[in-house]
Amino acid sequence: MLSRATWRRIVAGREAGTLLGLAVLCIGLWIATPFFATAANLANVAEQSVIVGVIAIGMTCVILTGGIDLSVGSLVALTGVVIGMALQRGLPVAIAVLSGLLTGAAAGAINGVMITAGRLPPFIATLGMMSVARGVALLLSDGRPIAGFPASLRMIATGDVAGMPAPVVLMLALYAVAYVLLTRTVFGRYLYAIGGNEEATALAGVNVPRQKVITYAISGLAAATCALLLVARLNSAQPVAGIGYELDAIAAVVIGGTSLLGGSGSVIGTLIGALIMSVLRNGLNLLGVSSYLQQVAIGIVIIAAVLIDMALRRRVHRST
Amino acid sequence: MLAAAALVALAGIVSGCNRGTDATARPTVALVVKTLNNQFFIDMEAGARAAADSLGIELIVQAPEREIDVERQMQIVENLIQRQVKVLMLVPNGSKEIVPAVVKANAAKIPVIAVDTRVDAAALAAAGGTVTTFIGSDNEDGGRMAGAFLIERLGGTAKVAVLEGVPGHETADARLRGFRKAMAAASGMQVVASQPANMERDMAFTVTQNILQAHPEITALFACNDVMALGALEAIAAAGKAAAVSVVGFDAQDDARKAITEKRMAGTIAQNPREMGRLAVLTAHRLLKGETVAAEQPVAISLVK
Repeated sequence: MLSRATWRRIVAGREAGTLLGLAVLCIGLWIATPFFATAANLANVAEQSVIVGVIAIGMTCVILTGGIDLSVGSLVALTGVVIGMALQRGLPVAIAVLSGLLTGAAAGAINGVMITAGRLPPFIATLGMMSVARGVALLLSDGRPIAGFPASLRMIATGDVAGMPAPVVLMLALYAVAYVLLTRTVFGRYLYAIGGNEEATALAGVNVPRQKVITYAISGLAAATCALLLVARLNSAQPVAGIGYELDAIAAVVIGGTSLLGGSGSVIGTLIGALIMSVLRNGLNLLGVSSYLQQVAIGIVIIAAVLIDMALRRRVHRST
Repeated sequence: MLAAAALVALAGIVSGCNRGTDATARPTVALVVKTLNNQFFIDMEAGARAAADSLGIELIVQAPEREIDVERQMQIVENLIQRQVKVLMLVPNGSKEIVPAVVKANAAKIPVIAVDTRVDAAALAAAGGTVTTFIGSDNEDGGRMAGAFLIERLGGTAKVAVLEGVPGHETADARLRGFRKAMAAASGMQVVASQPANMERDMAFTVTQNILQAHPEITALFACNDVMALGALEAIAAAGKAAAVSVVGFDAQDDARKAITEKRMAGTIAQNPREMGRLAVLTAHRLLKGETVAAEQPVAISLVK
């Protein structure tokens, strides 16, 4: 699927360390427990990586510009509730889904406008949106979950495409689109440029505000897509869904080697980062490790990944 | 390479933790609770562990970090199905939302025991799933009991505040239903505020502070669990109204019992999470031996005052 040059870039690049980490983790688990390396469990792990994996696509784009989006977890709840309410009112599935996706994109675009036109730091703008979106989700739903949806919606989570779980296929397709967007389009190059040096990019004639508004809209859209999958998976739209997802998504992006300062990183790294998180959680469950120790382990992996990434980067700087 | 080394070390630590017992020789069963940040579920785990040790069963206990995280609980259940546990004991975080996970366990021929919180019967039937047995208290009756106690204590007249649990969660909803029925039957009792505080102590503190601003005249407060009742007590004490407001909780945790002995709290409804954990493992053991079990196994509740 990928060209030879792309493979070479991946092998030589930042993703190599992350991929190696994932491989070692898998081999370790394969040795530690007979339940890990089964086809059913690997499908299970892939499916479990989807929720964070999908949000992390949008988060990667935002972080590449040097920004952050703390509102995604709340947007998952809000857009999920919008989809649930639309279905409850008897609207067709396609319309319900579309209204959820539009809500997500619109909320994301509002984030972008606050950051560009309003000159708010992304941390503050999206922190505000995090609270607003959660509140609106609770108001709309009266704080209660909305449950029981048509089978056609549930197919998104329960269906199979060519023997693979449908959500996994959807996630991989979205990663492919994001990969092309970031590496093969002008839009993608500008994203990296903004993260590298925003002023210079603006001076070069790039419409930075427009670019950023679209980026935050993509992040909102990714959150809405995640909400769709979550609603279909649980057969329920929850106004308290998605709490802490923004941190999981940021962790996946960071483990995947994307710099929080912006300008460098890739969605392939993020996909590997999301897989590392779900493999780790799955493995800890299979091994019956205490729930308390699991949180410690996940925290250590995040810190270790970033430490290693920084060490590698310093070495690259020295050698060039 | 460093990344690899770190992860190898981690995998080593993690698998090392599990090597203490011969996991392969004994049947493995799993208990998945709502969270392990709540004394109630820690007590349930203790009861289950004691029973598992005496019966020679390997027990895995897992929980999501947050009580509201239904998706994470579903992931844990999926992973334990892959782990091929023989029986799944489950305290659902969402009575409807857990249904797809129960169906998956059914498909893998793993019997499911619901503990403390029921799986929504209608949603389960619609999805074609089955739960072998339910072990727990009658929460609605507990709520009624708490209401009757407050009516008696306050002579039948009071303005009442209520701290609700996570909206849509079956146990807290049942307690609330029972409490509201008791209030509706007593003409002098008026519920002036009823707000969710998500079973959390800090949220209960803030919500109670806000309720006291809006309704300084309240003389009674019912919280759907002790964690919230204790948070409410602190807010009430901070407002200098400790003597004026009777607080009743639910679960009879150690901290709540202590507060009752010290006359800071009026009462609580005692459930017996240790007994639930013990009975769940005993039931799992009976299922492993191929015995049939009753569909409902009630665990007694009582008022502590």
